[in-house]
Amino acid sequence: MRKILLASTLMFSTLSFAHDAITIDEPFARAVPPGQPNSAAFMTLQNSSDETLRILSASSNVSEVTELHTHTEVDGVMQMRQIDAIEIPAGGTTELKPGGLHVMLIGLTQPLAEGDTVEVTLNFEDGSERLLDVPVQHVMPMNHQHQH
Amino acid sequence: MKAIRYLIGLSFILVITVLIYIQLQPKPAEERILGGNLGGDFTLNSIDGPVSLSDFHGQPVVLYIGYTYCPDICPMALAVLGQALRNMPEEQSEQVQGLFISVDPERDTLEHLASYAAFFSPQIIGLTGDKADIDEVVQQYGAFYRRVEMRDSAMEYAIDHSSRLYLIDREGDLAGMVSHSTSPDDLMRHLQELLN
Repeated sequence: MRKILLASTLMFSTLSFAHDAITIDEPFARAVPPGQPNSAAFMTLQNSSDETLRILSASSNVSEVTELHTHTEVDGVMQMRQIDAIEIPAGGTTELKPGGLHVMLIGLTQPLAEGDTVEVTLNFEDGSERLLDVPVQHVMPMNHQHQH
Repeated sequence: MKAIRYLIGLSFILVITVLIYIQLQPKPAEERILGGNLGGDFTLNSIDGPVSLSDFHGQPVVLYIGYTYCPDICPMALAVLGQALRNMPEEQSEQVQGLFISVDPERDTLEHLASYAAFFSPQIIGLTGDKADIDEVVQQYGAFYRRVEMRDSAMEYAIDHSSRLYLIDREGDLAGMVSHSTSPDDLMRHLQELLN
């Protein structure tokens, strides 16, 4: 019985890809003024698998370069840094939100106005990828995210 | 007996040392406002020429210091200000002036700052200047920024910075400061206090 379980677990884990185990809620990209060369995309990622999943890179149809960044507040000072990966813990949730983790869209090839939709592709550590349609919205404080 | 005297002497020195240490700690900006040490007039450049804080004597002013490459916090602070102004009755909001000072004059041209500021509200003016002038305002308001190279990033560099909306009264004195994560309604109430 144990062997069958083990075998099926192994088979299941080889067959499952990160993009299947990840649920993505409320993605949005920040609306920017015309001429603004960069923006950022945010979302909530949920990992239903029993292993930590990592996003190693991202790309978008509206930016020349797309990077993974974080923004942290240290003693009242906001510090933005590029990071190697965004981790989503096993059975856990990782939030990409203003003032924290974000997908940085650098070198915008078009203006991002509220109501537009942009494509963002997330590339996971296991080689799988996930293409998202991301609506463009105005950034507001965390507790007012969806008020306009 | 001698040992007790030593101990008393030692603890006395310890207490004095701690008191001196506490005294020497930099006080948070919030405390320094109360002492009236922060704020003051300045002149920087806008697309329409030099702008001074004193140009808005008689009006409450909201000041924010940041940069346009800032991914989230600066736009959030300016969005809160824009929304607070839109939430107010027009006869109130038209008296309030918003100022956005960029500490990244290398990338933030006056043209770009004008369109960036107007995007959040037509009542916000984008300002910057040369490094010496910017540094002076930053110091006056107890703010902070530093350029940080980003070696592997297409951004090339980022700017670490403090993030506060400075509330300035009709007399041009710093009356308070709020976080970028404050709600538009809270900011509106602060502004209405300054208008009364």
